[in-house]
Amino acid sequence: MEHSSTTARATDSGSERSGSPTPTTMKTCTTIALAVALAAPSFAGETLAIRVGRAETVSHGVVEHAVILVEDGKIAIVGEDLPVERGIPVLDRPEWTVVPGFVNCYSRLGCDSEGGDDNSPDVKAIDELWPKSPAYKEVVEHGVTTLSLYPAGNGISGQSVTIRPLGATAEEMVLKDGQYVKMVVRSDSPSKRRITDAFKKVAEYDEKVVKAREKFDKDKKGGSKKDEKADDKKSDEKKAFDPAAQEAKSDDKKDEKKDDGFVPPQPDEKLRPWLEMRVGAKRGLVAMSQASDWLHFQDALGKNELAYDLRLVLQRESDLYHVFEKKTNELDVDGIGDKKLRCVVEPTLTVAAGTLRTRNLPHELHRSGAKVVFIPRNDSLGDHQQWRSNVGEVVSAGLPADVALRAMTLEAAEVAGVADLVGSIEKGKHANLVFLTGAPFEASTKIAAVMLDGEFVHGEVYQ
Amino acid sequence: MKSFLRVPALLAVVAPAFVMFAAPARAQDPAPAEPKKEDGKKDDAKVEDKWVAVVGGDIHAGTGEVLKGATILGKNGKIHAIGYDLDIPKDAKVHDVSGLRVYPGLVAISSQGLLGNAMAEFDDTIDPFSTRMVLGLAAGITTTGVGGSAVKLKRFSVDGAVVNERAYTVMSWSGRNPRTKSELREKFADAARYIREQREWERKSKEEKDLPEPKKSGIDGGVLSVLRGETQAKFNASDRDDLLGIARLAQEYGFRPIIDGCQEGWTVADELGRAGARVVLTARDRRSKDEQQSAAGGTSIENAAILHKSGCMVAVTPPTEGVDLGGLEGRDIRMLTIEAGFAVRGGLPERAALEAITIVPARMMGISHRVGSLEVGKDFDLLVTDGDLLHYATYVQWAFVDGRMVYDKEKELYYAHIRPRPVAEKKLDAGETAESKPADEPKTEGDKKDGDKKDGEDDEQKKEGDKDDGEKKDGEKKDGEKKEDKPGEKQD
Repeated sequence: MEHSSTTARATDSGSERSGSPTPTTMKTCTTIALAVALAAPSFAGETLAIRVGRAETVSHGVVEHAVILVEDGKIAIVGEDLPVERGIPVLDRPEWTVVPGFVNCYSRLGCDSEGGDDNSPDVKAIDELWPKSPAYKEVVEHGVTTLSLYPAGNGISGQSVTIRPLGATAEEMVLKDGQYVKMVVRSDSPSKRRITDAFKKVAEYDEKVVKAREKFDKDKKGGSKKDEKADDKKSDEKKAFDPAAQEAKSDDKKDEKKDDGFVPPQPDEKLRPWLEMRVGAKRGLVAMSQASDWLHFQDALGKNELAYDLRLVLQRESDLYHVFEKKTNELDVDGIGDKKLRCVVEPTLTVAAGTLRTRNLPHELHRSGAKVVFIPRNDSLGDHQQWRSNVGEVVSAGLPADVALRAMTLEAAEVAGVADLVGSIEKGKHANLVFLTGAPFEASTKIAAVMLDGEFVHGEVYQ
Repeated sequence: MKSFLRVPALLAVVAPAFVMFAAPARAQDPAPAEPKKEDGKKDDAKVEDKWVAVVGGDIHAGTGEVLKGATILGKNGKIHAIGYDLDIPKDAKVHDVSGLRVYPGLVAISSQGLLGNAMAEFDDTIDPFSTRMVLGLAAGITTTGVGGSAVKLKRFSVDGAVVNERAYTVMSWSGRNPRTKSELREKFADAARYIREQREWERKSKEEKDLPEPKKSGIDGGVLSVLRGETQAKFNASDRDDLLGIARLAQEYGFRPIIDGCQEGWTVADELGRAGARVVLTARDRRSKDEQQSAAGGTSIENAAILHKSGCMVAVTPPTEGVDLGGLEGRDIRMLTIEAGFAVRGGLPERAALEAITIVPARMMGISHRVGSLEVGKDFDLLVTDGDLLHYATYVQWAFVDGRMVYDKEKELYYAHIRPRPVAEKKLDAGETAESKPADEPKTEGDKKDGDKKDGEDDEQKKEGDKDDGEKKDGEKKDGEKKEDKPGEKQD
């Protein structure tokens, strides 16, 4: 009860301060990338030093008596007992512990659409982003400063969008569009076929590119130019296979044209994400809920290249531990831990099937070599509020606290594709900070304040 | 008996021709074709042989032979050798089962739920971590018919579980729905005519090249493949007149029907035997006679015995096909051995009863070249039990599928606490003393009193021969494996 009253107060103060984040600057922004840089405007040009008892930076360990200098919504410097230049306002809170803002990399918060079993890797979650959803403001109060939204569906539902949960327009919110393609894999033929069919199409496309290349070379030779080199041809083909190169370096492409002039055939929109996932320009986020799904997924994948992270749904009697390690479980294929995959899981303890013996699967995952990423148990606001204490339960059951904190911040930012922007307290990153009254996973610890892009959006800071 | 066995042997030879193996062209990434082949070759070259030896048990091969205290050696999932004084490679996983019995893995002709929620397309749907699969293995089942396919209870892997994708075709013949009879007759007549015409055409077309091929449209594919011997026809019938009708149809068209149910089979056993019927029955089925009939009818406790005597292959199956975790215990698919016991009670010889849950259902599903008995070249699918397989008190101690241990009673939740595993007896040569005991012995030492046999013999003067020394080391190795196994369970 007490908590809810503080949040109520917090909402008031938060909304007052955040106001509308200067739409004038936004008008000038044309690209999303620029929007990211300018997305935190109300603190723009201002500098603030925050002195706290302890900073858990995640990327650089723990800093006692830390001073964090926030400038233009970014972290300018972090260090122990740094001297603060005269004239810079100092917020002195030696009783606080500061951690990076939490990143929920797998959410449908604020999205209402429903999906079926579609095979639609081209669908984008950004298209259903609704900035006015009241949910975003509330999760910020619980320390969530970054969210990744995915399109709904139980097939291959589409591409995620990573946002800062405050902003008047979609552009203002977006940090990264299309980082991962969410797909569900089950132990059934349709879901395996979606993957095998996709790779068939990829292979067909590869053939098409090779043929186009041959035709192009032939035509060129017909035009009495025989200065082709075999090496060039190969490297060009590689570029043709690499849609990242195609998309990101559209300027370079013009140069290529001068060199050679070969333009590979355009893949269709459903195929493009697969080509990108093959070279790691995008990642798959493969959701599964039982151990056999992993084996069937590996079977469907075969020797094809795919960059992916996992979303492991931990049900009460989850049997997923069978596929963490190849050696201990006598598997034919590598286990999840052997591949050192990033696994998005809910902070929950499960039981061994048919018993009441608890198992700490996040901890087992960590020990097997996998990288744990936490999300709230459910997408409700209540579960966002409980998120930290739920992780605390897993920590008290054995998972190291630093791994748990990383799982809520930097590792999650990796899944969301924004690890270069958020997820840790280090120079140059967004000043997304959560100020706590004690150790992160102590039951008695509360959130004192939340800073998003250098601005306090929750908490009574200036008393 | 010998002539009886020869037919299946022939079948076994034919079988590989039409067994459809699990992984055709599907999925195997079509990407860069050439380098992949090379990879495959390299992999083949690299793979080391995997050896497994089950040593010292009384081997009931399922073919009638019993080899006491013998060794069965497996290589890459197949049985490499059975016998005494075998050379066991150094890197073999050795399991000492002295004092225990070894049987072929059981074959359930039909079950549900043992492969998880899988219903069809088992290559894509099998759940090798299903708890019901563990329960099935605990009941000794290593292969099951399900949805017309024959699939293995292969844990830890989704590869190669399907042994025969289309083991049989279900056909309908019922006096309660007479149309099924006339329709099926027509289908057989059409298919037989088509085959004749086809042969005729093949013969003639060598000379007359313009001769049109006979039309296949309208011919029932299932019936056609039965007549060609590619698959088996399976009927569900229990009434006497239906059984007779099926027997006559089968004799007319020269195929051997599988008849599921067959409650009144004992009344027409001669006819069924002449038709070469293969029967799947539940020995404890009860059904009263139709009082309007003057002839004998209803069920008989002797059904299995009578049918067996008259030359039918008899397989037994419990009353329900699933794994029942509620209601009455003792009726579900885990009771294969108990069901066979009921058949023995009704007069079926014990050997035939064992075959009724191993080689016979394997023959019916066209997979007897791989499973159903312990013979060199067949799959290393076997059970180690603490007593007679058909005895109600017997537990499966270990189960192996394709050379891999997939069930260990002591390690799984379900029966570990009931009658701990009897301690292996060491046969010692005179003059030798057993200073050190095998590593896994202390664990079970205290339990020895609970062991069902050989309590009288004392362990005071245990001695070990040179050979046993080797086994001891292997025993230690085995224990090491045990410790490695599923560390997750100890983590809590």
